[in-house]
Amino acid sequence: MANPRRVKMVAKQIQRELSDMLLTDKVLQYAVLPEAALGADRYLSSLTTISGVEVSADLQNTIWLGVVKMVSVFGDERGREVAIAGLKAKAKYVRSELGRHMKLRLTPEIRFIEDESLERGSRVIAILDRIKNEKEAAARRDGEQ
Amino acid sequence: MAKLIPRIGSRKNERISSRKNARRIPKGVIHVQASFNNTIVTVTDVRGRVVSWSSAGTCGFKGTRRGTPFAAQTAVGNAIRTVVDQGMQRAEVMIKGPGLGRDAALRAIRRSGILLSFVRDVTPMPHNGCRPPKKRRV
Repeated sequence: MANPRRVKMVAKQIQRELSDMLLTDKVLQYAVLPEAALGADRYLSSLTTISGVEVSADLQNTIWLGVVKMVSVFGDERGREVAIAGLKAKAKYVRSELGRHMKLRLTPEIRFIEDESLERGSRVIAILDRIKNEKEAAARRDGEQ
Repeated sequence: MAKLIPRIGSRKNERISSRKNARRIPKGVIHVQASFNNTIVTVTDVRGRVVSWSSAGTCGFKGTRRGTPFAAQTAVGNAIRTVVDQGMQRAEVMIKGPGLGRDAALRAIRRSGILLSFVRDVTPMPHNGCRPPKKRRV
């Protein structure tokens, strides 16, 4: 069993490497955002971010050796589906690139999962803001009367 | 002896304009620099002159909490509050860097009621220039 502290460090490093890959690697960018191939000059319709990485506890030979990546996509519905489908299609490529960049004894398998927590949090805060505004408007109206 | 170059902006000739930054800017640019440990938000006008800025660190977060998405969204709220009073309706967003602040900042801008005209990614990309720092060993 690997040291849990080391597992966390590896997870953080994988997150950094993946975020960099999303920014620099052309193949990944075309998978996530097909308009980049047309040379859309970086005007984005959707934005993908790696919001978290979880690594299985064993970093060595095990039955299941995996890394789960939570991906948060900002954009409209179609852009989101395209981005997630593109990333899932490139999972093997991402694994090989990760093995080239990082020095690990065994490069883990990679799975991408869409992360909805940021979206949900944003919706909750929007609802709370709306309630607050409505209350303030009502209080102002009562004050005038 | 070098030739005397007339100093541009010497105070004798020019009046100091916009003392308290009371200009109204209907359209501006929001720059978000999202690194792994912090998020810096700068609001400028279309030409690039800074109007206001804020960051996760100045919002009271310290240490590891500066890199979180919640800190990014507080920083955006802080920076936009001053500008919305000056009457900014439309904005273009320029995002730089990896980091969780990218997503959270965009959502916060969208929520605040400012119209997003464009979202651009301006992460600096060398055409193989300077040597990057050495690889981290984990």
